[in-house]
Amino acid sequence: MSTKHAKSATLFIRNREQEQWHNETLWFVRQKRDNMAMRIPEWEDLRELAGKIKMHTVSRLDFYLEMFSSEAERNGITVHWAKDAREHNEIVYSILEKHQVKKLVKSKSMLTEECLLNPYLIEKGIEVVESDLGERILQLMGEHPSHIVMPAIHKKREEVGKLFEEKMDSEKGNSDPTYLTHTARRYLRREFLTADAAMTGANFGVAQTGEVVVCTNEGNADMGTSLCKLHIVSMGIEKIVPDLKSLGVFTRLLARSATGQPSTTYTSHYRKPKEGGEMHIVIVDNGRSEIKGDSEHVQTLKCIRCGACMNTCPVYRRSGGYSYTYFIPGPVGINLGMLKCPGKYYDNVSACSLCYSCNNVCPVKIDLADQIYRWRQNLDSLRKADRTKKLMSKGMKFLFTRPALYRTVLKMAPAINYLPRIFVYNKLNAWGYGRELPRFAGESFTSMWKKGKIRKTNKQ
Amino acid sequence: MKIGLFIPCYVNAIYPDVGIATYKLLDYFGLDIDYPVNQTCCGQPMANAGFENEALTLAKNFDEMFGRYDYVVAPSASCTAFVKFNYPSILDSNHPCRTGGKIYDVCEFIHDIVKPAKLPGRFPHKVSVHNSCHGVRELRLSSASELNIPRYSKLKDLLSLVEGIEVFEPAKVDECCGFGGMFSIEEPAVSVCMGEDKVKNHIAAGAEYITGADSSCLMHLQGIVERNKLPVKFIHIVQILASGL
Amino acid sequence: MSSKNDIINNIRRHVSTEYDMPEIRVEAVKFDNPVAEFLEISRSVGGDAVMLKEGEDINTFIRALYPKAVTVATNLSGITIPSFNPDETDDPHSLDGVELAIVKGEFGVAENGCVWIPQNVKQKALYFIAENLVIVLDKNRIVNNMHEAYERIAASDYGFGVYISGPSKTADIEQALVIGAHGAKSVMIILY
Repeated sequence: MSTKHAKSATLFIRNREQEQWHNETLWFVRQKRDNMAMRIPEWEDLRELAGKIKMHTVSRLDFYLEMFSSEAERNGITVHWAKDAREHNEIVYSILEKHQVKKLVKSKSMLTEECLLNPYLIEKGIEVVESDLGERILQLMGEHPSHIVMPAIHKKREEVGKLFEEKMDSEKGNSDPTYLTHTARRYLRREFLTADAAMTGANFGVAQTGEVVVCTNEGNADMGTSLCKLHIVSMGIEKIVPDLKSLGVFTRLLARSATGQPSTTYTSHYRKPKEGGEMHIVIVDNGRSEIKGDSEHVQTLKCIRCGACMNTCPVYRRSGGYSYTYFIPGPVGINLGMLKCPGKYYDNVSACSLCYSCNNVCPVKIDLADQIYRWRQNLDSLRKADRTKKLMSKGMKFLFTRPALYRTVLKMAPAINYLPRIFVYNKLNAWGYGRELPRFAGESFTSMWKKGKIRKTNKQ
Repeated sequence: MKIGLFIPCYVNAIYPDVGIATYKLLDYFGLDIDYPVNQTCCGQPMANAGFENEALTLAKNFDEMFGRYDYVVAPSASCTAFVKFNYPSILDSNHPCRTGGKIYDVCEFIHDIVKPAKLPGRFPHKVSVHNSCHGVRELRLSSASELNIPRYSKLKDLLSLVEGIEVFEPAKVDECCGFGGMFSIEEPAVSVCMGEDKVKNHIAAGAEYITGADSSCLMHLQGIVERNKLPVKFIHIVQILASGL
Repeated sequence: MSSKNDIINNIRRHVSTEYDMPEIRVEAVKFDNPVAEFLEISRSVGGDAVMLKEGEDINTFIRALYPKAVTVATNLSGITIPSFNPDETDDPHSLDGVELAIVKGEFGVAENGCVWIPQNVKQKALYFIAENLVIVLDKNRIVNNMHEAYERIAASDYGFGVYISGPSKTADIEQALVIGAHGAKSVMIILY
């Protein structure tokens, strides 16, 4: 009865040392986030406000997108519209081709991951260099991110050290993070200096001014865009905020929620192309506009991709990003995957104990856990419901809608306590994985009540 | 005031002593308690597993059975939260939910409605409070660790009325223990891993006993403790509160 | 144009409940002494910030901080230590190797140590490519929080502007914090 997630999680946990490191490291990020949240007396008001601004923006997305694009165009930016991943990739390539770009340097963008842009461009003969350190590590390893903010969180320093020995000629056996980071700095500096174009994602698009805002700690987005004449931005339609005043709310929440910093090191506002250069924004739908009409899941469009729901999720921390089948893991990833293609990504819906912690950390108050609960209700009609769970649910209903039968079963239940272990603890009993079964009491509460053993005393 | 006592199915069968303690405690406060004998289960296990439709009849039966009381009280934060927050949407317009607004977890009920200044009990032990997810993040029995709100704990408030007790809390004070209903059997590896971590944190807090408002979490943790033969015992919080009765 | 229409129409077709824009009025954190808070937060994010003492010469101060820096770039007229004017170059690549850039900040934000810099040099690469960055900032220009910050820039017309809070950093290898990822390895904010 295992989902793909449950199976992968079992493997992840088998390496208990790595699991514990992963769990504790992300928990530490959650704690840093808590420290930040507790320092801001108006924190809960900010979350409420941010959620409302986003819901408003989503409900008037057509209006704000048109405002954004006309303002951006007025500022001299070329705006493109892509219905889907394919169109996005084609647009990006056509811009690069026109400028005869040989080398493209990119900063982190989950949207380009979503569109599988890199393999598409590489196929066309363009050299694509990821410049965020974590992304670069994964690109050199041929892997994809396991966390949306800390992409290489599943990698150990020794693995990075080995990789850099091979790819960046670093000292043998040196896996000191400072040494490795500075090695990458030198190597990537050369890439920045020789790149023909820079690409970034967008954390926010401000409708009122037509500018895009990109937040990084490394400064990689700015290194790329300030050295290259050509800047291409890939932006999902849901990244829009109405105005700078709204932006102030989100910039207060983003880094605090994501990494527990009061702000990212760089919060860059790109409003016009640089002198003598060109700036293009590709606005991407790729299924997002469909979500707007789905009242049960529309709130996912509020997401600002901070990753806080992953850091707090007790399941994510103990199973790692690769245990999810969608490229975005964790609570929001479960939901986004189901919105993308339920028949393909239903395996992730089991990865939730409904603890609701994600709802509480989300800076825009998405009802993440409630949505997962709702997806579960839909699995049966998608024919993806777990058969054992279905059988158990039907059996329970049969029993619990028949009070007399229920009472009889309560009477017989204690006999189970005396079954030989082999009947109880076997592969069919997932509870027995690491746990002893509870023992039925000799007499149930109902039985005692009916016999008058539980009586009024009114001592007081 | 007439109280309908709801003893959830697994408490009924496995932990009847928790039910008895609940009754004794309410009785001690001089309350008029009734126990409808045809009660079974609230339907949460099926609904959380994705079969809300299988819970519908149960919700109707429950709501009819308990709708006539002034208060419905249950020794389970999770079942209480399910009735309170999910029944209104599960039950259709033909059957407007009557119980959602008047169901209380027993601790919540004593803390908010009865408001006792003292309790009869004495429990000279070190206990670590298990803050269950649905207790904390749905019923708000204590301030959720994620939120920037004033700190409080109704469970600790009540325990402070018990003589001789020493109250502790684990690190990661309200992290999920990994039970999660059918989550525990659909994702057994993660569930057990979460439970083992939780038990470790409770023991590290210095607990002789792990206590809480949800027997379901305690059942899961107890299964882990028994499998690994760890030195800690379990007791539902009402059993401590009723210890002098 | 057709994709634009398709997207916009699809958004319109998917009618959802319309939500009003909330009034953005936040009772936001304010500090008794925003300057002190700014100094403290700047240090906590891996950077440094100091208040120039009365009568202290900024050039002497910077020289003492970076005694070995040879390639110093600035377009600020008050800086007299040996330096070159980065605005004279048309090629931002030529700025690679700048050991120290001295630039002017517009205002600072107490709650997070950010300094707002609307592009005030010819090549914005200077802010990021220099090994070390000194930001000179008027001590009377510290706002409490980001709400006040955005209010300040609402009417301004910048092509590019950036909030900088401390030096470039990463924690992408095992979450170990390392200063100096791609941008400046040190940031010193001098309040005067």
